[in-house]
Amino acid sequence: MSEPSGVIHDIGYRHYDGPRHGRAYARTALFTNSLRGAFGLGRPAKSKIMPMLLGVIMLLPATVSIAVMALLREGPLSYTGYAVTMQAVVAIFLATQAPYLVGPDQRYRVLPLLFSRPGTPTDYIVAKVAAIVGAMMIIMVLPITLMFVGEIFVNPPGPLHTGDYLRGVGGAFLFAIFLGTVGIALASLTPRRGLGVASVIAFYLITLATSTVLSGVLESLSHDTASRWTLLINPFMLVDAIQVWIFGSRPALGIDYPSGAGGPVALLAVLLLIGAALAILVNRYRKAASS
Amino acid sequence: MNTTIAQITYRGMLGSRRVFLLLGLPVLLLALTGVLYALASSPERVTILLMERFGVAMMLPLLGLIVGTGVIGREIEDGVIMHLLAKPIRREVVSVTKLIVAASLMALFGALPIFISAFAMMGWEADVALGFAVGALAGGVAYAAVFLLISIVTRFAVTVGIIYALIWEGVVGTVAPGARDLSIQQWTLSIADAVSSSAFLKSQVAPGFAIPALIVTTLLATILAGRRLRSLTLSGSE
Repeated sequence: MSEPSGVIHDIGYRHYDGPRHGRAYARTALFTNSLRGAFGLGRPAKSKIMPMLLGVIMLLPATVSIAVMALLREGPLSYTGYAVTMQAVVAIFLATQAPYLVGPDQRYRVLPLLFSRPGTPTDYIVAKVAAIVGAMMIIMVLPITLMFVGEIFVNPPGPLHTGDYLRGVGGAFLFAIFLGTVGIALASLTPRRGLGVASVIAFYLITLATSTVLSGVLESLSHDTASRWTLLINPFMLVDAIQVWIFGSRPALGIDYPSGAGGPVALLAVLLLIGAALAILVNRYRKAASS
Repeated sequence: MNTTIAQITYRGMLGSRRVFLLLGLPVLLLALTGVLYALASSPERVTILLMERFGVAMMLPLLGLIVGTGVIGREIEDGVIMHLLAKPIRREVVSVTKLIVAASLMALFGALPIFISAFAMMGWEADVALGFAVGALAGGVAYAAVFLLISIVTRFAVTVGIIYALIWEGVVGTVAPGARDLSIQQWTLSIADAVSSSAFLKSQVAPGFAIPALIVTTLLATILAGRRLRSLTLSGSE
């Protein structure tokens, strides 16, 4: 046995002695990039069509509402009910954009590169969740803000709905954090774009249809209380029930939610689902980091 | 029809995680059927509500989306389709084979559970179960053909499919009556209505229009899919 005789030659590569930005910088960069990407910025023109189109569709009712305020002198649409009325569009936005945030990194094996730098899986999850929540906030808050600005300028009869608007913003945050976390957790389970989009939209369509059928049947059999509970299977109604409970707003579709325990139970369900979604994400990326 | 392509496609559909989505929908339908059966004393209206809202309005388009885009979309996404297209097989044969696989999966995961569910609720009464089974079979094949075509035409097949199913059939269909004439969902209901004698089931479109429309749509989508496969270009990344 001879001693190891390997030598490492210094072949003159220069060292990097510039500033190192660390975890927080990596997290912010990932967040900004993802948030921009959710609206197609920094992506090819084709990828911009869908988010921009959905954004414009979201603004349409607000624009119409401003016109109605100006011409017919009527009040604005409900600020807290806006996201519930437009739930199909919000759901499509989530289903098309959440897979973009997490899919390509898995598809093109970027994750090992990211995790070999200071940023950890936790930073990755925080950045991605924050990005989708931010994107959902923008898509929901922008229309009601436009409507509120319109209300200020048009000044229709009756008091200004400042409280309602602020409640609407608070509600949008609830919607964004719940739907965004669940959506991105579902999307993170597959590297395939098509399957990711399909599973997020499947979650929405299945809960929507189940809730519609059950509440319709129970109402026709005059089990009114049970019918109201089954409304909460629809994720949008679930969050709206919390809004109604906390902010005292009116139910978005004019159908009452279960009184008494309804609000607290809805809040508990939302918290549990957010927890489950975060657990899925942590589990998913711990595996990705160690492989 | 090429059995090797069919075999590989079946394996791709049933051997991947996609199968959970395919299995989940029928299982949920049957579970819901159980709950409603326990609740409802006169199940006719309840059955039709379940079939219309859950079976036809949600399950069929969603299955069509997963199946229609799954049989060819993932091969295009991966670029594996090039190996298939480089073989001396007519492109029409490829697209027809894919459609047959998709249609059989639609029958297995869509029409069959719909029949079982409606039959469990009502038996042969008023031919509701039969009507929805026939309707779901025809509508399912049409959805599969259309979504197959869309996934050859665009990389954003699932997105376009969702917009068709949710916005066109869902929102526009309820607001603008004209849109109902161009909706696979309404054609499906029309066939179910034609077969069944139930008074609770009323479709908006006449079967004299719906049946030819379904046939034309399916054929046209299949032919176009074969033609588009001849000049398929694989575009790059995200």
